[in-house]
Amino acid sequence: MHSLTFDVIRRSLEEVGSTVALIFVGTVLLEALLYFVLRRIFKSKFTIPFMLLGPAIVGLIALIVYPLLWEFNLSLTNMSLRHFGDKAQYTWVVCQTLDPAKIDSYLTDCLIKNYANVFRLPVLKQAYFFPVFFKTILWTFINVFFHVLGGLGLAILLNRPMRGRGLYRAILILPWAIPQVIAVLAWRGEFHFEYGFMNIILRDLGMQPIKWMTDPTWNFVAMVLVNVWLGIPFMMVILLGGLQSISGEFYEAAEIDGASNFQQFTNITLPLLRPVMTPAIVLGTIWTFNNFNVPFFINQNELESSDILVTALFRAAFQYNRYGFAAAFAFVIFVILLIYSIFYIKITGGLKEVYE
Amino acid sequence: MKKSILGLLSVMVVLSILVSACGSATPETVTVVQTVEKVVTQEVETVVTKEVEKVVTKEVEKVVTKEVEKVAEPVHIVLWTKEGETDGGLQFVQSLAEAYTSIHPNVTFDVVNKDVEALREDFQTAALAGSSPDLLWTVNDHAGPFTAADLIMPVDDLFDLSAYVDSALKAAKLDGKTWGVPISNGNHLMLLYNKSLVATPPETTDDLIAMAADLKAQGITPLVFNQTEPFWMVPWLGGFGGAVFADDGVTPTLDTPAMVNTLAFLHDIKYKEEIIPTESDYDGADTLFKEGKAAMIINGDWSLGGYADLLGKDLGVARIPKVSATGEWPKPYTAGVYFMLPNTLEGAKLDAVVDFVKFATNTNNQALMVAKLNRLPALKTALDDPLISQNELLKGSADQMVVGVPMPTVLEMRCNWDAMKPEMQAVLADTKTPEDAAAAMQSAADNCIKTLE
Repeated sequence: MHSLTFDVIRRSLEEVGSTVALIFVGTVLLEALLYFVLRRIFKSKFTIPFMLLGPAIVGLIALIVYPLLWEFNLSLTNMSLRHFGDKAQYTWVVCQTLDPAKIDSYLTDCLIKNYANVFRLPVLKQAYFFPVFFKTILWTFINVFFHVLGGLGLAILLNRPMRGRGLYRAILILPWAIPQVIAVLAWRGEFHFEYGFMNIILRDLGMQPIKWMTDPTWNFVAMVLVNVWLGIPFMMVILLGGLQSISGEFYEAAEIDGASNFQQFTNITLPLLRPVMTPAIVLGTIWTFNNFNVPFFINQNELESSDILVTALFRAAFQYNRYGFAAAFAFVIFVILLIYSIFYIKITGGLKEVYE
Repeated sequence: MKKSILGLLSVMVVLSILVSACGSATPETVTVVQTVEKVVTQEVETVVTKEVEKVVTKEVEKVVTKEVEKVAEPVHIVLWTKEGETDGGLQFVQSLAEAYTSIHPNVTFDVVNKDVEALREDFQTAALAGSSPDLLWTVNDHAGPFTAADLIMPVDDLFDLSAYVDSALKAAKLDGKTWGVPISNGNHLMLLYNKSLVATPPETTDDLIAMAADLKAQGITPLVFNQTEPFWMVPWLGGFGGAVFADDGVTPTLDTPAMVNTLAFLHDIKYKEEIIPTESDYDGADTLFKEGKAAMIINGDWSLGGYADLLGKDLGVARIPKVSATGEWPKPYTAGVYFMLPNTLEGAKLDAVVDFVKFATNTNNQALMVAKLNRLPALKTALDDPLISQNELLKGSADQMVVGVPMPTVLEMRCNWDAMKPEMQAVLADTKTPEDAAAAMQSAADNCIKTLE
């Protein structure tokens, strides 16, 4: 093990320092340019706002817009190990070298070949797009359902006077505080057939141990267990905040009217929690849909039955080296989430206040 | 120098004038003049020689200084290795890097450990992003994808490859070029057994099944191995008379009776004979063997060092038992561990990397590897080391190598690995029949090969 010497620190700072210096100098130059162009030449009254937004816009272009365009460009090529880097060609250019008799449709066989392949070829070794897509929906639904159920239950329990409430809350938030990859790898150890905590408990209870890693159903269950454990604290914190904002007067009035606890819950708690719950569910859905760490690391044996869209995408790109195909696959996933988000925002009016 | 020569010339001129002024020259004066001329000439020669020496020395010093400066140019080498900490491999690589730095202080290293598959994936990604490491210490089958993507350079012109064992070189050859400098020879699977639990290793699979009953009665798992990777299945496939490629070396032959029999055999020893554990990945198998809960393990030569440290004289090495049904020995893949050089290397860094590779594979360091890691060396001269002939473990390892077959390096092999893995697991999880799994392997490999183009 190497010790943290002065030389190591100096070298690390040098590596990071040059980037930071570059960003700093770039920002100063950009600000100077904006000031000169807008204030001196155009005499614009929006000089200051543009100067404030300028670095962020450049950052977004460099970190989001450019990679997206690069990715889109990649999705139109045949890039793979045999056609790596500069050797990659656009799919329609490759078509020109093929026998025209072998081309059924110029659109799907040449122009958007990779996009068509996402739906007509296996996205993994055996699994096609739609089975993986429906499994991803099932995975998302089950997880978000238990996140909301568990989070709401714990939030209601914590939202009442009791001794040590702060301590309980801190303990319950712990899974959220642990880096996700570390937590998932620790959990994976607990699903080990011989030495894992889960099977030790089952054996002690006189039950048969479970093949968590090789049985497709149980592997999926293991993934859900871990993700539910990881996701409940977030939902609990959000919903607890929502519960605390509901005035106690509503419940007092309901009690005077003789409403039962269940009636109070369905007629007061749930409706008043909805403004908080809706964005939390949207976020939770997108996060779970795109959750990479849990399905990837718990599925140690790379069972295709446990792969969801994002892990399939990772395997297509980095394990099977189908770079052009994987770029098209990524855009398909992006479009699915975009449609979902637009649909959900329209239905719930989530961004209404922003517009008005 | 000019001043001294001018001074002497002046003396000569003055003397000549004086002599001429004395009228006709007498024989005595001629002799004097000649003597003076001789002395002056000698003096001039001495002074000139000294001055020339001085100038030459200075020039030489300048050139040498420049050369030294060139050699001493700081070079930082990022080395990715597949060696992990558990068997001391990573520590060995680090010790080599440190030893080299102590001799050449201008060359420093970052030794980064990555799992075999992570190393391949990350290197490809890093190369695409233009930030490759400077040197790879990895297995031979990576040469296939790396050469297909044109990421590494051939080493034929950089090293004297005649110094290395032929079998090790063959495993890194593609298209007539050598793509790696061998570090160790083998990287093959073998049967390792705990002598305190098994006095004599089984010769055949029937023997294995016969001796399993006693071991199970004692609560000992008879045999363990990594059930998640097809690398552990391939020897059995060879034992059943199969191979993953046709004779052309690139067409997958996975849906064959040999593969079906192999899968059926693995299924049987798990569910019928109950010789192997219900679930076992690499670490699980390793731990069961190390804890004395498993009598035998099928593992590679890389694990010998770690087991020898733990079990000492109780560790035995033998061939994987002969398949009774065919009378054939299982054929593990043989290859080795190699240095591979990214094709982005040039200038001083390339020189330093080449020099380090020569240093790391010199006779002394190969002997050190044999002693520390119990691996067969790749350098011919190191093979004569008494450490090998007197080492029972290495003798066993070499004996297993005899029945091994070279691991294919072609890119299509990746498709075979990826196709075999889930199907082998499905049979071992009892969720697919061997027939269905073999058919699915074939179709997955064929599909994968189509996507390579």
